[in-house]
Amino acid sequence: MEKATNNVLEQRVTPSELREKGAKYIIDKIRRNKGYYVTNTERDLSQSDFKNRIMPHTQLLVARERNNSGFFSLEISGGASVHIDMMRKQMNPLEKVQVLAENMPDTLFQNLCRGINLFGYRPYPENVIRLTVKSFARYVHVWRVFDFLNYIPNMLAVMEEVKKAGCILEPCICFSTGPEHSNEYYVKKVGEILAVTGEDIILCIKNHGGLGTPRRIGQLVKNILDKYPGLLIHYHGHNSDGNDVGRIIEAVINGAKIIDASDHAFSGFFGPPPIITVVDTLEEYGFAAAGLNRQAVVEASNILRPQREYYRDFESQFLGFDPTVQVHKLPGGATGSSFEQAVKGGFLSRMPEILQKELPRVQVELGNWWSVTPGSQILWTTAVNNVLKGVRYKDASDDLKNLMLGRYGELPFYKPADEIYQAVFGTDWQNYVNCNYCYQKIENIDLDVEKKVLERRLGREATEDELVLYLQHPNDAVNFFKFEAKYGKTWILPPQIWFKKGGFSLGEKFEITDAYGKLHAIEIGPQRKTKTGDAVTYFNVDHHPEPIYTEMEQDGDGRKGSGDQLKKKVSISVKELNDLAKAGDIRSQMMGTVSEIPVAEGYEVSAGEVLIVLEAMKMLTNVISEINGKVSEVMVSPGDKVELGDSLMTISKA
Amino acid sequence: MSVEQRKIKKVLIANRGEIALRIIRTVKELGLEAIAVYEKPDSESHYIRLADDAIMIGERPRKEYLDIDKIIWAARKTGADAIHPGYGFLSENADFSAACEKAGIIFIGPPPQVIRDMGNKVVARKIMEKAKVPTIPGTGNLAPGDAGIEQAKEFAGKYGYPVMLKAAAGGGGRGIRKVKNEEELKAQLPQVRSETRSAFNDDSIYLEKCIESPRHIEIQILADHHGNVIHLGSRDCSIQRRHQKLLEIAPADLPADVLESMYDAAIKGARQVGYVNAGTVEFLVDSQTNEFWFMEMNTRLQVEHTVTEELTGVDIVRQQIKIAEGNVLDIPADRVHMMGKAVQVRINAEDPKNNFMPEGGKTLEVYQSPGGPGVRLDGVVYQGYRIPTDYDSLMVKMTVRGYDWEQTIQRLKRALNNFLIVGPKTTIPFYLAICDEPDFQAGKFDTSYLETHEEIFNYPEQEREVAKLTKLIAEIHARKTNPYAY
Repeated sequence: MEKATNNVLEQRVTPSELREKGAKYIIDKIRRNKGYYVTNTERDLSQSDFKNRIMPHTQLLVARERNNSGFFSLEISGGASVHIDMMRKQMNPLEKVQVLAENMPDTLFQNLCRGINLFGYRPYPENVIRLTVKSFARYVHVWRVFDFLNYIPNMLAVMEEVKKAGCILEPCICFSTGPEHSNEYYVKKVGEILAVTGEDIILCIKNHGGLGTPRRIGQLVKNILDKYPGLLIHYHGHNSDGNDVGRIIEAVINGAKIIDASDHAFSGFFGPPPIITVVDTLEEYGFAAAGLNRQAVVEASNILRPQREYYRDFESQFLGFDPTVQVHKLPGGATGSSFEQAVKGGFLSRMPEILQKELPRVQVELGNWWSVTPGSQILWTTAVNNVLKGVRYKDASDDLKNLMLGRYGELPFYKPADEIYQAVFGTDWQNYVNCNYCYQKIENIDLDVEKKVLERRLGREATEDELVLYLQHPNDAVNFFKFEAKYGKTWILPPQIWFKKGGFSLGEKFEITDAYGKLHAIEIGPQRKTKTGDAVTYFNVDHHPEPIYTEMEQDGDGRKGSGDQLKKKVSISVKELNDLAKAGDIRSQMMGTVSEIPVAEGYEVSAGEVLIVLEAMKMLTNVISEINGKVSEVMVSPGDKVELGDSLMTISKA
Repeated sequence: MSVEQRKIKKVLIANRGEIALRIIRTVKELGLEAIAVYEKPDSESHYIRLADDAIMIGERPRKEYLDIDKIIWAARKTGADAIHPGYGFLSENADFSAACEKAGIIFIGPPPQVIRDMGNKVVARKIMEKAKVPTIPGTGNLAPGDAGIEQAKEFAGKYGYPVMLKAAAGGGGRGIRKVKNEEELKAQLPQVRSETRSAFNDDSIYLEKCIESPRHIEIQILADHHGNVIHLGSRDCSIQRRHQKLLEIAPADLPADVLESMYDAAIKGARQVGYVNAGTVEFLVDSQTNEFWFMEMNTRLQVEHTVTEELTGVDIVRQQIKIAEGNVLDIPADRVHMMGKAVQVRINAEDPKNNFMPEGGKTLEVYQSPGGPGVRLDGVVYQGYRIPTDYDSLMVKMTVRGYDWEQTIQRLKRALNNFLIVGPKTTIPFYLAICDEPDFQAGKFDTSYLETHEEIFNYPEQEREVAKLTKLIAEIHARKTNPYAY
């Protein structure tokens, strides 16, 4: 048996130890060392306070300092980041962790995995889950796995694959408050997890909302450890109410061995609190941060601080702590995006009503389970719809219906009341629910066929990594692959270029090192508009003239737009849309993305049949046929962005 | 031969595009007036602006330039006393030459009978045979129907397959088909005949022995009305794509005695047919033995005349006009110097990787052309130029001259790299790939060059990483926000 050590360097846990000695060795080392370990929760910081936009360029700037910091882990992947990496950073999420690993060889990487929902918003087939975990496990050492219903079967496949890959498994109990959320309940839940995983895991208390008082968290940790004394507990919290430092202190005092915090130069309101604050406070209480190099943590923030201004656009529209989180329970990772939606949707003024009245009410009505992805989106969308439509539970999303039909797993405490079922499923709800209530077993899909489909869409062969990304977010992955083919590896661009607004100034110069390590000098020259309204910009690239043609979209003052294209900007009422639908002219009732088209031209359809599945705000909505007839034209294809009133399909009446 | 001397004052150019401009330039150097004609789609073309006067001859693209009556009308209307036909269109139309003669307008080119004789391949062969110019063994015009097939089979039996089926009225690579065996012969003959009928309005076809992978070498000649015939050296036009020339070199890399025999043959042939004005005698040359055979004679200015001009310093268009005026050729053979090497490339708005698909309709958003020592450009394009959909996609011909072959290739490459073109795809990367190809550098090429060097088409389309990044930066700049980040 190895001995505990006081040598800071020896206290560290590293990828090479994991490779050579295995997960159990690392877990035992943390167990026997005094003090607690720190996870730098950059991914959740980025998601909670910067809409997931912190760029690889910034991460690489502090790679050395962070690598020297001696964290238990750097949480750098998973959650919504996999999707956003492709969609908004135009980076391959696997390449991101690979590149960072090369620059941070001594630091364990951690992610957050939504169990059966992986890094997406709804359940995936088991073979997709296994393939995805295997693929990411090459770079991600610590896997934090949860299910929004704490429904353990939803976590099984991921947990098995994580162990198989030799990674450190960190299953979560999602934490919330309210009468049902007693310490006894959670201790029992921990027992259920351990029964499946054994004790050589790290148990995470996932306090995604930053709920409860420090005292409550301390008691929870204590109760769990009283029952399972050798268990490693990792406390994960959010600082939305400004009190997570307190919860962390209590967690550590009561025996938690790993805690989550973040670089102070970037810490905001809804993510984890600053590392140094936590470390210095705990020091006073007699707890040392194992392996931690305080100076390196400070240096990282010194480097990061000047970068923050480039991310200003992505900080929350709503600044300041939000102690009302204890009521609305929105997870830190969803707070920023909720306010973004409120601003975009023009309902910012109704946020107090939504957050403080409707959301808590909906939560209680639907079963008081955990407000975390994808459940938080279901709760949020339902509450917003209820308030904005003025009628509660009207036009419920498919995700809510699926949830209420038990498709995503058993509700932990109670089912919604009959009147909620009636509001969602209509007067004949009882019959419908009786016939349809069951856990949704997702059948495996044929991966070879999917690969062929992907290859057809790309017009070339696809790698397994590309397949993995495609299987989770098909359209956004394909768009990203096409982007990368056209623009190259743009993730090396610094945020001041990537997020630049208003254009550059004439003569502005950049020195850019491309992804292959080559340094380039780029100078912005004059720009000229062509007859067609497109732009030609003259660059000096490595001191050679390089004029670049940019095709401008057919927007703005309708320069290139024909009459029809301009017409669609005209607003259209829901009644008009419904009338059109009854005439077979199917138009989009919302702004979103076409996710699926289950019918094709020539199909016979009947009233009530699903014609198109749209995705908006991470939720799926079915476009239903109002009439019997035949599909005569399909104007959109999966992946298309549609606006309110855009033509989708025409049905000729039977 | 007695010919009255007649001073030309005003030349109408019955052509368009770069060749119209080329002719206008010399006409003006001579202090004469240049008249351009144009079809409506050409009304904004560049060449028109450089003429002294221009006249629209109709609406229909590619039709009016072929309309003899309209051209004669335009000449009358503008008071032109001479017409230069350029290449293509009416340049090898004997009726046009005759119509000019009849209208009292000087046709800057050979007399109608010469055009007619040389335009019919069977007649041309006979004349050349009479002049003891070696011709490829072949048949006369084949009899129609099965009798023709029998004739063809007999010929193939004697000379062996493969054989070439050719339209007597064909030219420019059209109406030619290689036949590998008797079955193909039986199948192809009626087909070629019907194609020929619709293409040339004349279904005479004949058969020739097929010379496998020959070199295509041609001799430029000048002949005046007084019986003087001189040559201006040779051109190697072997690098072709489906019988369409892409890159031409002067002089051909052949032993002096072979070239001398070819000059001799070309001049004898020209004399035999009574040739007047500038013409080109084309030969096929066996790449192994240097044996050569007469192929055809082009009775006009060639696209690739520029290489000869650069090499010899002789302005061929100027000589054409002088000859047409009835002057005696004043270029003593010893004053035709031939120093170094010249090469011409046709820079087309085409995608070589996609079967040279024209990029019609695209606009040259940026156009900067090379210059410096040894570079000549004949083109009508400029920044903002739209590649026509009604006409060919030739943007500019670049002719490069160097002291020797090595310098010429290096200069060609340098000049090609100095083009800055944004908009359409061009043949530039394709020529750059040829410049880097070792057989080309070693001067080893024949008409099979592109088929046997397919790697040329694998030139990197892959942009440099920094070019891709810059494309995004340009987009962020132009749109004033990054559409891929928000």
